[in-house]
Amino acid sequence: MTAIGQERPRGRGHLGDLLAWLRRGAKSDFWLRFRRNRNAVSGAIIVALVTLTAVFAPALAPRDFESINMLAVWSPPTGDNLLGGDALGRDILSRVIVGARVSLLVAISVLAITLTFGTAMGMIAGYFGGWTDTLIMRVVDIIFAFPELILAILVAAVMGPGKLTVIIALSLVWWPGIARLTRSLVLSWKSELFVDAAIASGTRPHRILIRHLLPNIVAPIIVRASIGVGFIIMAEATLSFLGIGVQEPEPTWGGMIRDGLVSLRTEPYLSLFSSLALGITIIGFNLLGDGMRDLLDPRIRDR
Amino acid sequence: MGLYAIRRVFGLVPVLFIAVVLTFIANQFVPGDPILILLSDQSGDPVLEARLRADYGLDRPLFEQFVTYIQGIFTGDFGLSFRFANVPVIDVIKTGLLISPVLAIAALTIAVPLGIVLGTFAALRRDTLADTAVILVLVAGISIPNFAMAAFLVFLFAIKLNVVPVAGWGSFQQAVLPVVILAVPPTAYIARLSRTYMLEVLQQDYIRTARAKGLRDHLVTYRHALRNTLVPLLTTIGIIFGGLLSGTFVIETIFNIPGLGSMAIQSVFARDYPVTMAIVLLFTAFYSGINLVVDLLYGLIDPRIRFGGDAA
Repeated sequence: MTAIGQERPRGRGHLGDLLAWLRRGAKSDFWLRFRRNRNAVSGAIIVALVTLTAVFAPALAPRDFESINMLAVWSPPTGDNLLGGDALGRDILSRVIVGARVSLLVAISVLAITLTFGTAMGMIAGYFGGWTDTLIMRVVDIIFAFPELILAILVAAVMGPGKLTVIIALSLVWWPGIARLTRSLVLSWKSELFVDAAIASGTRPHRILIRHLLPNIVAPIIVRASIGVGFIIMAEATLSFLGIGVQEPEPTWGGMIRDGLVSLRTEPYLSLFSSLALGITIIGFNLLGDGMRDLLDPRIRDR
Repeated sequence: MGLYAIRRVFGLVPVLFIAVVLTFIANQFVPGDPILILLSDQSGDPVLEARLRADYGLDRPLFEQFVTYIQGIFTGDFGLSFRFANVPVIDVIKTGLLISPVLAIAALTIAVPLGIVLGTFAALRRDTLADTAVILVLVAGISIPNFAMAAFLVFLFAIKLNVVPVAGWGSFQQAVLPVVILAVPPTAYIARLSRTYMLEVLQQDYIRTARAKGLRDHLVTYRHALRNTLVPLLTTIGIIFGGLLSGTFVIETIFNIPGLGSMAIQSVFARDYPVTMAIVLLFTAFYSGINLVVDLLYGLIDPRIRFGGDAA
């Protein structure tokens, strides 16, 4: 993280890379290098499949994910329930499919909150400096002093379990990383001539931040955030597994794995299939994230 | 260095103080009146209620409660449990006090050497099929959550092959699966980092010099290259330890191990907030302590690092 921050963006920087890619389309250098990275391409395919599954979950699920069927209680995979049934005879396949939607919704919410809040805090701290900077960075330091999951559990204990709790707890844990990166990027850009020129011509600070600085720093921040998606999904699943995350009747992969552990000996399908879905999804996001980082970090690129 | 160490130690004080304040505030904001829950069917008894409130110190002003809370922490007194009437928190948690750190340290002693070996192996075979395969395994090791891995491994080794017990705590066999599962993510993480560092180091001038003077390959690798990858690896031990401590929450819950991690989760559900907060505090203090030690060791081991100003 600090490596990106301390590294002064070279040339047009990361955003330039992304824009050039968009302009030149399929023949651009970035796209060619991306396609050569087999791991990143497999990651992108997995992410695309999971996203499509989440978007079209109601249409894809063969059955109602909430409907209870006493004849399918702990049923093994059959023609009716392709992946079997859970303790209430609900269709596991349908619940795994809808579970993708819950996972991604939480991840996107956390991403949106941490990107907005973390970037804002980091920009304010980096641009204004002084006591504002000290105050914001102290808060960041304090949050970093807690192991992530333990802070999330603390929040869950106070707020009570639920989807909102998970989103708030994970946002609280994630924004400091974004803020630190943003601050270091702002520090490296604010001594540029165009910023001085903007100040000299009487541009107000919020306009300098949004119109002049933000476009230059937004790309690495987004890349950094997207690398974290896999870990946000993992954290949500962990909280749901522990029972302090998203609650029934909403299906979550973490909760389903826990529900299945009870009967792992005789009916392992619930745990195993939801573990598979969760594991493959996070692998996909991490492969894609690693690929993006390798391509956009000029230090690694030259090797 | 001495000055830096002193400054770092004192830098911990405000952080830990704020952790104490946070847990105290959290205790105030949790839903429900613990005394009424403790009274349960005897809730009509005003004498008993008053006595319990006095025992728990809840009848005193908030500030006074806070001072008592802080004074208590210095002597290992975290107040009384809400779940077990009039039982001190410390008596509830002391049986499991060492289990989580022992699990974490056991996992770490597997993860560090194994991770370095795997990472070096991949780096020396850069861009070959073996390298790609190792990288894929490492991504899987980092990505698959420990409880998903536990589901598979318990099913395979405890139920199908029946070589280890499903759960429990006390024997060596019972510890095998939990420690192995805990060790997987840090092993993958360390391997990935040491691969990157190794590739970086192998391009340095002193490696070329060592090769040029005719040193054999394995001497170059192990004496010159590997040593220099260990220093940046050391800085990540703190992060890894944080992950391991969090991992114990899940692993202890799955394998029914009576450590602080599973106790914290149980007390969240039992609304035994003093126990939850005490465990959060202990883990935070432990985590900060490890990070402090790692920081100081870093300065001792790498002669290029000089502490001064704000460069730390």
